Amino acid sequence: MSTVAASSNARRIGRGFAGAFLLAAIWELSVRGFNLPTYVLPSVSSILAGMVADAGKLAAAARFTAAEALTGYLLGCVIGIAAAVGVSMVPRTRSAVMSVATAINSVPVVAYSPLVLLWLGIGMTSKIVMVAVAVSFTVFLSTVAGLDRVDRKSIDLVRSFGAGRMAVLWRLRLPTALPLIIAGMRVSTVRSVIVAIVTEMLGAYGGLGWVIYQAVLQIDFVQVWAAIIVASAISLCFFGVISFIEQRYIFWR
Amino acid sequence: MTDMSIAWSEDYACGLNSGARGLAGLLRPVKAEALAAPAAEPAWTASGDRPLIELRKVSKSFGPVIALDNLEATILPGELVTVVGPSGCGKSTLFNILAGLEEPDPGNILRFRGKSSAASELLGQVSFMPQRDLLLPWRNVIDNAILALEIEGMPRAQARAEALKMLPEFGLSGFEAQYPNQLSGGMRQRVALMRTFLFKRDLMLLDEPFGALDALTRTMMQRWLLDVWQKHRRTVLFITHDVDEAIFLGDRVLVMTARPGKVKLEQKIDLPRPRKADIVTSPEFVGLKKTLLDAIEEESMKSFMTSGH
Repeated sequence: MSTVAASSNARRIGRGFAGAFLLAAIWELSVRGFNLPTYVLPSVSSILAGMVADAGKLAAAARFTAAEALTGYLLGCVIGIAAAVGVSMVPRTRSAVMSVATAINSVPVVAYSPLVLLWLGIGMTSKIVMVAVAVSFTVFLSTVAGLDRVDRKSIDLVRSFGAGRMAVLWRLRLPTALPLIIAGMRVSTVRSVIVAIVTEMLGAYGGLGWVIYQAVLQIDFVQVWAAIIVASAISLCFFGVISFIEQRYIFWR
Repeated sequence: MTDMSIAWSEDYACGLNSGARGLAGLLRPVKAEALAAPAAEPAWTASGDRPLIELRKVSKSFGPVIALDNLEATILPGELVTVVGPSGCGKSTLFNILAGLEEPDPGNILRFRGKSSAASELLGQVSFMPQRDLLLPWRNVIDNAILALEIEGMPRAQARAEALKMLPEFGLSGFEAQYPNQLSGGMRQRVALMRTFLFKRDLMLLDEPFGALDALTRTMMQRWLLDVWQKHRRTVLFITHDVDEAIFLGDRVLVMTARPGKVKLEQKIDLPRPRKADIVTSPEFVGLKKTLLDAIEEESMKSFMTSGH
């Protein structure tokens, strides 16, 4: 069964690469065929050449952004899950917390970026906080939904074995919620990279967003594209890792 | 349907052949006991044991709906009492009270081992098996079986070792690492029963455990339950819709009235044990069945009329 899953995974990844390759080919051919100027769309080959030429700079920026995104992500996951557990353990707080969370979450979190930059400066802290805020709301809402899925009868059964609230939480509620928690975490991976980059564009000392912003000012569109491709590679890897963990450990879904 | 029952009888046979803990081994001492006490009088009457559970004037209402009304019942240690009644007669409410999940209305008397108790004091004192198996999909067979032991605080390794020894008896040898979604309905039910058995309490509450199984699997499970019960000598309260099942298994059958529920008829079942499958065609069995069916018919009509369906 697991070998079947593994081979279907391999096939999916193969198709993904084939699609990317096809896109690159069409891109390259249309840039050359229509003789597009670089500021409209640089050719794939020139972007790749640019990536090689600027490899050191891009790698440093990628590390910077990845560190912000990952730290904020982990922080956001912990906060989101903890808050959801807290709300479900103290039902009276639920409606208050949920309405505030929904209100804040109804605006794209990046709208708060300028304020956070003002409060926390343009170093890494402001990016980490922004990512943590974005991730924690998503994870919070999906964890609450997951914890709600627990069947009354299962709780009764576990209680009849003498389980207290903590045992019910640990042995029943959290495992039941796990598929939705991980789904929320999977969606948040991409979000964390986006939020880090957008916040960097508004003010930073480094990172891919900062590279993109600087390159635009210098009218270096090859570098803009190079940074975008590196950023999407980071996003995809991050997404892939969490999807892998999900498939590996949430086998009962 | 047939596939499942074939699979069941196969591993049933495996259980038989697997040596010391096989069912053949279980049956022998039981037969000896039956010979030693030919009067068919259960041991507890002679020894004058006090009741394990005594319910007096137990009522329970949910808003305007009265689920139980002055229910009276007594269960003696080691008895297997079956409960039948029309649907919606408050059987499950009775079970929830006995499992400690719900408090009856004030004014009741509930004695557990002769001591007056609140229902909540029964939490963790009774091993309860709900209608659905409610296995946890992320736990394999063995880890589902030890759930209650783990909650009691037994170390996992010890609980697993204990459960592994019981697998053959439950016809689950070789399935310990399977997950619930890989099992047939009958096997899932046996895992749930094993979980209930491993939580060693004086009173076992089984709420229609075989209700969702096909007829063949169900008769196999009934015989198997009797074997296991005779070996472990637990007190069992067993809810069912099926009159045959109630007579076949029970020392006594309680027939409940339509809502508000109380005990309409208490019928002692004097059929000798161990009971064979063909006992259902004996004249005594048929006579008991007629008595019980008449009582149930009357109540079913009542609930049919009042519910207006």
